Amino acid sequence: MKNEITLQTRREFLRRTVLGSSLAWTVPAFLSNTFSALQSEAADSATQTITGKDATILVVLQMAGGNDGINTVVPYANDFYHKARPTLGLKAENILKLNDEVGLHGAMGSFKKLYDAGQLSVVQGVGYPNPNRSHFRSTEIWQTASDSDRIEKNGWIGRYFDAACAGADPAVGVTIGNQLPEAFFAAKPKGICFSNPQNYRFMANGAATEASYKKLNDLEMSAPLPDESAGDMVNSGGSIAMLPAGMPMTGGRAVDFISRTALDAQHSSDEIRGIASRVQNQAQYPGSQLGNSLRLVAKLIGGGLPTRIYYVSQGGYDTHTNQLNSQQRLLGDLADSVKSFVDDMEAQGNMQRVLVMTFSEFGRRVSENANGGTDHGAAAPMFIVGNKVKAGLLGQYPSLAPQDLFQGDIKYNVDFRCAYAAVLENWLKTKSAPILGRQFAPLPVV
Amino acid sequence: MLKPLSTDRWNYAMAAHLLNRAGFGGPPAEILQLANLGPDGAISFLLDYEKISDPTPDPDWAKPDPDEIIKYREGIKNATPEEKRKLQQEQQQLFQRRMMELRGWWLQRMTFGPRPLQEKMVLFWHGHFATSVEKVRNPYFMWRQNDLFRRFATDNWQTLLTATGKDPAMLIWLDQAQSRKAHPNENYAREVMELFALGEGHYTEHDITEAARALTGWSMEFQTQEYLYRPFIHDQGQKTIFGKTGNFDGDDFIALVVEQPQAARFITAKLWNFFAGQMPSEKLNDQLAASLRAQQNNFKPFLRELFRSEEFYADDIVRNQVKSPVQWLVGSVRVLECQLPPPLISWGMLRQLGQDLFAPPNVKGWDGGVTWITTNTLLTRYNDAQSLVEGTVPPLKAEDLAKKPGGPGGQKLEKVLQRMRMGGVNVEKILTPDERSDKNLIVAALEHRLFQTVLNSDQQQTLRDFLDSKTKMSDADIVTTIRLMMSTPEYQVT
Repeated sequence: MKNEITLQTRREFLRRTVLGSSLAWTVPAFLSNTFSALQSEAADSATQTITGKDATILVVLQMAGGNDGINTVVPYANDFYHKARPTLGLKAENILKLNDEVGLHGAMGSFKKLYDAGQLSVVQGVGYPNPNRSHFRSTEIWQTASDSDRIEKNGWIGRYFDAACAGADPAVGVTIGNQLPEAFFAAKPKGICFSNPQNYRFMANGAATEASYKKLNDLEMSAPLPDESAGDMVNSGGSIAMLPAGMPMTGGRAVDFISRTALDAQHSSDEIRGIASRVQNQAQYPGSQLGNSLRLVAKLIGGGLPTRIYYVSQGGYDTHTNQLNSQQRLLGDLADSVKSFVDDMEAQGNMQRVLVMTFSEFGRRVSENANGGTDHGAAAPMFIVGNKVKAGLLGQYPSLAPQDLFQGDIKYNVDFRCAYAAVLENWLKTKSAPILGRQFAPLPVV
Repeated sequence: MLKPLSTDRWNYAMAAHLLNRAGFGGPPAEILQLANLGPDGAISFLLDYEKISDPTPDPDWAKPDPDEIIKYREGIKNATPEEKRKLQQEQQQLFQRRMMELRGWWLQRMTFGPRPLQEKMVLFWHGHFATSVEKVRNPYFMWRQNDLFRRFATDNWQTLLTATGKDPAMLIWLDQAQSRKAHPNENYAREVMELFALGEGHYTEHDITEAARALTGWSMEFQTQEYLYRPFIHDQGQKTIFGKTGNFDGDDFIALVVEQPQAARFITAKLWNFFAGQMPSEKLNDQLAASLRAQQNNFKPFLRELFRSEEFYADDIVRNQVKSPVQWLVGSVRVLECQLPPPLISWGMLRQLGQDLFAPPNVKGWDGGVTWITTNTLLTRYNDAQSLVEGTVPPLKAEDLAKKPGGPGGQKLEKVLQRMRMGGVNVEKILTPDERSDKNLIVAALEHRLFQTVLNSDQQQTLRDFLDSKTKMSDADIVTTIRLMMSTPEYQVT
């Protein structure tokens, strides 16, 4: 890799990253040992360098609940569409036409602007073979990039971290939310997650408490001296000798791993709160949860956090009833929030570096149900936003003709893993086959 | 046969290790009691739990309720869309309330119940069979499976595997209830072999297809909420599984699975990992599996050997396991002799820490080990420690309240928070008057209680300095000292 650096010591590592820029402390010998071990491991893999200034960034946006893709990218000129959806069908005059056949939902004016500016790619009919209609399972399939009959332990983003980001800053992956998504599950867990930077911290009831916490979690101190482990009680501390050279981070005693995480937590929490209060947004965002999440992501990018992948989500797409109103609100919020984020990135001068990719666990049934909604379905569109995307409509719109449906659902034309392969290879610049389990043809989108 | 621990190595620290792993730890008096029983007595006290009566009542809704099912069904059938929505919403709320009650009920059992090892095994089986309420939905089924794990906690491998397969929650969870002769559903057949009993590479795709045929007929009766064998959907034909051919049914299939030498190896490795905190070496697992087979696949005598073995008390095993969130919460309440937070708060803590009981992340269950620890969950543990010891609500809500005391909704919020208020640590209960007056004694007594070992001298000094910085040392300062001790990497292992 062109601008790859080799990590010599943890000290050098921290110096080179934003997280370490404010630190003036001596690196314990113990730490540099583990770090040189890490380095030897990293040397064998295509480790990616995080500079915080010029690396490309992927923002994954989950539309949770199963978005009705058919009323998002609308085949407004298709008779089968209007026949299947007598009450939910959107009329041509309420559509933002992309061509003579399909158009965007009327609430997505902001996406139409991005489309016209050549910054939006609409990938049609994305799904996978043998689709599963359970939220739980289908989300898991998207998160782990597995075949629908296989259980994968780790997530596709986690496997990217394992394969390409050994030794990276813990903030290489950032999830805005309370839970780390399954996509981040990894052999060597990485990435941080928080919903509110003000709460991503040690809460102290006084300066003395805070100072004591910092001392107690200082790594140099928690490695005990060998002679202290004598006595009939079993010593709690980790011993350096337990960590042979060349062992990965997860080797050695459990407490050593936790000590390193504690140090990462301390520094990343200081830094993130610093950025959040220092960096100003340069665009107006909707006051929604998604708007707030993207506002925060923009600040973190502006503050130079060395992150390759951000993960945000928007819920509420499980529209079994009263779909018209709720989807109108959600899609409007989605388009407006992403557009604000794009504006912010442009004002920051960072839009060249950023790609936003949306997904939802499944689309919905072609025929509407009796409650003014739609039930769980299969394939649906994905949106990819960036300055370097192949803008326009990609792939074929799946046929809505009843004889072409499978159990009432449209069939996919594009395997979602071809989109993952594209962002991995052409955006994050890493080989996709080791991460996705086999070679998927990258979608010509980036 | 594993090598037994020599009796003269048995001491307080070993007893603490046993209680931490075979149960959820406990205060010094409990450890001392076990230490005095000697290794055989201590293990028997934990393992022969049938001798101890357990009077905990079941939740009052923990029984089949056909009337409720019929009422709901009929109601939905004749309802307008609006009424239907209302009925569904009511049912959802009822289910949510019951699930919250169920979580609290189980946590109470783990924390204060008289049979810690039985509950620890229930936790193991829950993680192993990893059934989630997200799909099963009905709290009664979730309770029932939990109860099944309790009844068969240390029973026989084949008995447990068969009973779990016929358990309604499992029949729903892995779609077996929907499997028909004409369209066998392979989900359960596959997971029995891949995730529950053998592991990848120990069966073929053909075995799965044939096993799915054998399992047809395992179904449930929706109204009575019971397992039901339906002969007319069972495939009566010949099946070939693991190279054996016959007119197998589901029971035969499970018997064939457990007959595989790999079935013992698979479960002994998982049990060792759960109790010892790391995967066993090939050689050790050979011994473990041989031991389980020698005991006719009965877990109780197997566990007796495991807990008695020298390997279980080895230096790289003791204090080298990352506490699971449940272990962290239940164990903290036990060593601090304080109250368990109300179910809603406990649930919130466990969810944030990554172990949402009755809702494991996927069919593989929780990964455990170091994956429990991220920068975020570690800071959350440190902050939840404050809530626990001070008896306050978790920081997020307390902070929000502080921000706008008179603001809109502030009063209502305050009322809610008042209900959530927890006990906190009572310093008088865990330290003697003498100890409380001397900072050296405070640190020594607390580290003995919280770690059953000593911290390093720098850490001890930091804690003494903290107490020194207070002009007049109060109980609140001691409580903060406890929180600081819990805010260390060392407290996260057991």
